[in-house]
Amino acid sequence: MPNVRRRLLLLAGLLAAPSLPVIAPPAAAEDTVKIGVIEPLSGGAASAGQAIKAALELGTEIVNTPYPDMQGLPLAAGTGFPGLGGRKLELDYADNQGSPAVGQNQALRLITQDHVVALFGAYQSGITLTTSAVAERYGIPFLAPESVATNLTERGFKWFFRTTPIGPDIARAYIGFVLDQRKQGRKIDSVAIVNDTTEYGTSIAEVIKKQADAEGVKVTQNVTYNVNATDVSSQVLQLKQASPDLVIFISYTSDAILYARTMKNLDYRPPIVIGDDSGFSDPSFIESVGDLVQGAINRSAFAPGRPGTLSYKMNALYHQRFGRDLDETSARSLQGFFVLVDAINRAGSTDPGKIQAALRATDMKPAQLFTGYNGVKFDDKGQNTESAMLLTQLQGKDYVAVWPQAEATGSLQLPYAGWK
Amino acid sequence: MSRRFTALVVVAVLLAAPLLLGNAFLQRVAALVMLAAISASAWNLIGGYAGQVSIGHAVFFGAGAYSALLVYKLTDWPPIAGAPVGVAVSLLLACVIGLPTFRLRGHYFSMATIAVAELIRIVVSNWQFVGAAVGLMGPAVPRSLADLSFLSPLPYFYLFAAVLAVLLFLTWQMQRSRMGFYLGAIRAGERAALSLGVPVLRYKLLALLLSAGFTALAGSLYAVMVGFVDAESALGILISVQMVIIAALGGAGTLFGPLLGAAILIPLQETTNALFGGGGTGLTYIVYGAIILLIARFRPGGLLELLHWRRRRVA
Repeated sequence: MPNVRRRLLLLAGLLAAPSLPVIAPPAAAEDTVKIGVIEPLSGGAASAGQAIKAALELGTEIVNTPYPDMQGLPLAAGTGFPGLGGRKLELDYADNQGSPAVGQNQALRLITQDHVVALFGAYQSGITLTTSAVAERYGIPFLAPESVATNLTERGFKWFFRTTPIGPDIARAYIGFVLDQRKQGRKIDSVAIVNDTTEYGTSIAEVIKKQADAEGVKVTQNVTYNVNATDVSSQVLQLKQASPDLVIFISYTSDAILYARTMKNLDYRPPIVIGDDSGFSDPSFIESVGDLVQGAINRSAFAPGRPGTLSYKMNALYHQRFGRDLDETSARSLQGFFVLVDAINRAGSTDPGKIQAALRATDMKPAQLFTGYNGVKFDDKGQNTESAMLLTQLQGKDYVAVWPQAEATGSLQLPYAGWK
Repeated sequence: MSRRFTALVVVAVLLAAPLLLGNAFLQRVAALVMLAAISASAWNLIGGYAGQVSIGHAVFFGAGAYSALLVYKLTDWPPIAGAPVGVAVSLLLACVIGLPTFRLRGHYFSMATIAVAELIRIVVSNWQFVGAAVGLMGPAVPRSLADLSFLSPLPYFYLFAAVLAVLLFLTWQMQRSRMGFYLGAIRAGERAALSLGVPVLRYKLLALLLSAGFTALAGSLYAVMVGFVDAESALGILISVQMVIIAALGGAGTLFGPLLGAAILIPLQETTNALFGGGGTGLTYIVYGAIILLIARFRPGGLLELLHWRRRRVA
């Protein structure tokens, strides 16, 4: 039956062809310490993932070559990991393609095939959820520097660590600011929250309401709308009628732009405007309607700050290399990266158990950080208890740090100006 | 005889393959091949045999995936207990979607299925009860064997292979039965089939029900393995498109076509990532596109057709 054999051969060839390249893993330098990085390098969140990758490349260079200028930053002064006899760092990237299943697969590949000592990622909360579950079962430390979904640290995992501030931290910053303003004699008796009905919009609105309740700040109005709205005049008119002392917008870019335009058209200027991160932080938002929202207050875990500070130097390095400022998400990512490499160095070993113990013992001080966290220290659930954020205000084309006072680089300008 | 022999050898090789791989990642890729083959073979019943190209099968996949984790969330039972619920829901959905859309032919039917699937995706991503935009998660750590949460990918592989075997056996039976000939007639020309007395609507619906049920089962198995589901990963249009591409690559309307397609596409998708991890991002999609182009241009019948054509020539 020669035809059968030929057909079988062909079939076998077809089956084997795509798997050939993986059977022979690429030869790697023996003495590097490998960390697996899972980020969205393609798909809907690719631009964020690529920016993070760029920041991590800078971070790797800082670890592997001497940067004596970056005083305080772990592993910057020397080459490689001093705790591991100067071994160098290698990042092993995998693309999660925006899919929880692909991310999970890549986590497995990085652990079982590439033998990474720790995993890092994965941007989208859903993918962080599935990838960290793999790490947990294999007993490999997983550090999540970006994902904010609350449930990630509610699973009782022992190998999961998160450095980023999450919902409650955001709410604490806003309400803390309100209380501070009240103390200084500003009248803030009524607060309106405007949010879309996505996970982001509803969850952030929820935690702000909770925190406000606890601190005795009254949320008098909650206006919701569907994401990617085409008209928000009725929402703006509702606000105008109630005229609250403070309006908090939780919106993605296109909606934030629409609100800015509609408020100008309907001539509505609340006394204080807070625009929560995403839409209000997007460079394209500032480009298109920055002139209409002067004085809008935003949150950020990172601001370049004053010359001479670690954050300023880090931003300068990034700017010099990529021709743009270090964005907030990449900054949080890079900060998490330095927490992880510091722990590996302190562990003095590539043994996952020792790295886990070192992560647990992490106690970093603000002087070692370039983000606005008060420190890095993990609780039993793996959440950083010292994460915090500062508030910034749009003045001209830039956001300037204005609160808390200690970290301010500019003065708070109230009431909200909007357009001139 | 020779044909059955070939099939047997192929099956034996496929079953033994993951054992030989001895590498968890490759074993998992093999398990994913089986999973993709289940959903593509299920799609093949309506899309291949009956020629009704649905690009909305993510609805059934999603019904299965969501049911598994919803049952877990509500009752604390193992997620797999949600599989029958998922199948039931998708059968119901198949009736609701099938009856009106079957009046449409060709591209209009495909477009209607896309519309329904997108509609359901948007509703689900705003519906708090099913986790809205956050999604649902399975047991964080396995509580018992019934959670079907294994460290090794091998149990998944054999579980999926068993389900696939049942599905392919049913398909094979159907192919040789009256229903197989009816569906062939419908595929060749609905109006002609109708004029010859084929109960077109009844058989199209029957094929859709069978197809939807197994697609839902694939969805439940997916959710059990991955342990997380959200609107994009279970109801996204890429889920539907992948079933179509896999079946078309191997050969739509053939018994082993979808399995062959899955065995080529899934490893390709995973290895381009392994090879180019940081660098060649998006390469997977370029390869996908190239495959679609090449098939459409040179082998509209899929790769299995190539084998059959060779055999005919030798004979």
